[in-house]
Amino acid sequence: MAEDLVLDTAIRDWVLIPLTVVMILIGILRYFVSKLMRSQQNPDAKVVREGQVVIRARNLRAGANFIPSKSFRARRAHFSNEENGLLHVPKGQGQNPQAQMFSDPNMAMDMMKKNLSMIIPQTLTFAWVNFFFSGFVAAKIPFPLTQRFRSMLQNGIDLSTVDVSYVSSRSWYFLNLFGLRGLFSLILGEENAMDDTQRMMQMSGFGMDPTKNLSAEKDGLDIIQHEWALPKFEQRAEAALKKLIS
Amino acid sequence: MVTKTEETQLNRLENQVDNGGGGAWEYLCMVRKLKVRRSVKVLKHGLLILNDSKKRSSLGPEEWTLYEQVAVAAMDCQSLEVAKDCANALQKKFPESKRVGRLEAMLLEAKGSWGEAEKAYSSLLEDNPFDQVVHKRRVALAKAQGNLTGAIDLLNKYLETFMADHDAWRELAEIYISLQMYKQAAFCYEELILSQPTVPLYHLAYADVLYTLGGIENLLTAKKYYSSTIDLTGGKNTRALFGICLCTSAIAQLSKGRNKEDKDSPDLQSLATAALEKEYKQRASDKLSVFTSGFKSLKVSS
Repeated sequence: MAEDLVLDTAIRDWVLIPLTVVMILIGILRYFVSKLMRSQQNPDAKVVREGQVVIRARNLRAGANFIPSKSFRARRAHFSNEENGLLHVPKGQGQNPQAQMFSDPNMAMDMMKKNLSMIIPQTLTFAWVNFFFSGFVAAKIPFPLTQRFRSMLQNGIDLSTVDVSYVSSRSWYFLNLFGLRGLFSLILGEENAMDDTQRMMQMSGFGMDPTKNLSAEKDGLDIIQHEWALPKFEQRAEAALKKLIS
Repeated sequence: MVTKTEETQLNRLENQVDNGGGGAWEYLCMVRKLKVRRSVKVLKHGLLILNDSKKRSSLGPEEWTLYEQVAVAAMDCQSLEVAKDCANALQKKFPESKRVGRLEAMLLEAKGSWGEAEKAYSSLLEDNPFDQVVHKRRVALAKAQGNLTGAIDLLNKYLETFMADHDAWRELAEIYISLQMYKQAAFCYEELILSQPTVPLYHLAYADVLYTLGGIENLLTAKKYYSSTIDLTGGKNTRALFGICLCTSAIAQLSKGRNKEDKDSPDLQSLATAALEKEYKQRASDKLSVFTSGFKSLKVSS
């Protein structure tokens, strides 16, 4: 494998460039399709409230030492008492997201739409690339790489003798799929660029249970020791004033 | 909160725009981003852009944001005609929009037709009960009509859901103070201190409320909060210095008969007085005599 492979210029004109252009066009198309399908959803009152409760409880935990202990105790009781405290979650009410999803068909519908707009074009383009361009060595990167990159750059070519810096067409497709985010944010504007990695992150974040958050905050509040910080401030004020006068 | 660097940048930009140096659009964007209230300037420069069709079209879709901004500023300046024109332009472009509906309700409010505005806001809330701006507008509406208890009710209802909104807590605290409901106001200020423990103004306001409430315990606490204000401002806050002096003398008066368990030294008061004296000497030396005679009477009582 001493001599270089010579890539036909026709490969550049008929594989590399069309593939890239198609990927960009599909990305733009998908953006508009998903914009059409996006349903405006109103947030659930309970969810909004719970989020706010958690923020406020967190503030209380962080700033507890800045208010008198009487006020702190009153607040803690308000947040975490066992009967109707804000952070108290009645047993059995903490439904898991799966059940929630079945009970709310809108949610399932929304997820399906999201999934469809992601999966369908991906499978189609992947099949298309596989059908027309499988087995091409489409490009060469100008620096050498270690063997580890072989699976990333030479997907679809099972030749161990080809130098790793050659990129197969299927790998070029994957590189485009994940790497065009910057370009989309240029074309479609900053916040519009939604690439797949981001979406996947959203999907995984979806299964979070909000009630867990509440009970975690409750535990945090329960164990906190209140130690009023203000008495110390008198000395500090004295020091500050002494500095000011002198 | 607007940081200092942002404010200087804004002022510089404003100067530049006022003197015809260009950059009006950047200035307007900045005002919008920082949510500061400079309605007169916004109205003047925004209208200049809107009336110039070439400049206007060069903004692209941002044009409509500018229309909204100018409309709100115009309402603030009571140029209702301008506000109406802007709202109409937006209405033509987005006939179904809730945001434009909000703008029109605000226009009604600016005209002073309270009843219609209230109706418009309620119908907007029915469509989207989580529109924080509309909730706040309704509170402002109640306040503008002088219906302070109504404003309190609305704010409480709002805070039941959006309880992490410290601006609303602050507004509520101020309304409570104006109605002399100090205990409730104290609760609001505690909430504010919790959400932003390093803002000295909240400490100061809390101390003021506690001092007003009176009673030995509250006075002691008030003194502590005045000292924390001094610490946070580095002794630059005159009101806190006065507060220390007043608190100490009031505490001394109240605990006169009881056993003297004055564990905190009276140092703080003398220091505060000295700091005040120094400040008066520097800033207003002609008022120094008034100050010292006033303080003598305080000292006598203590």
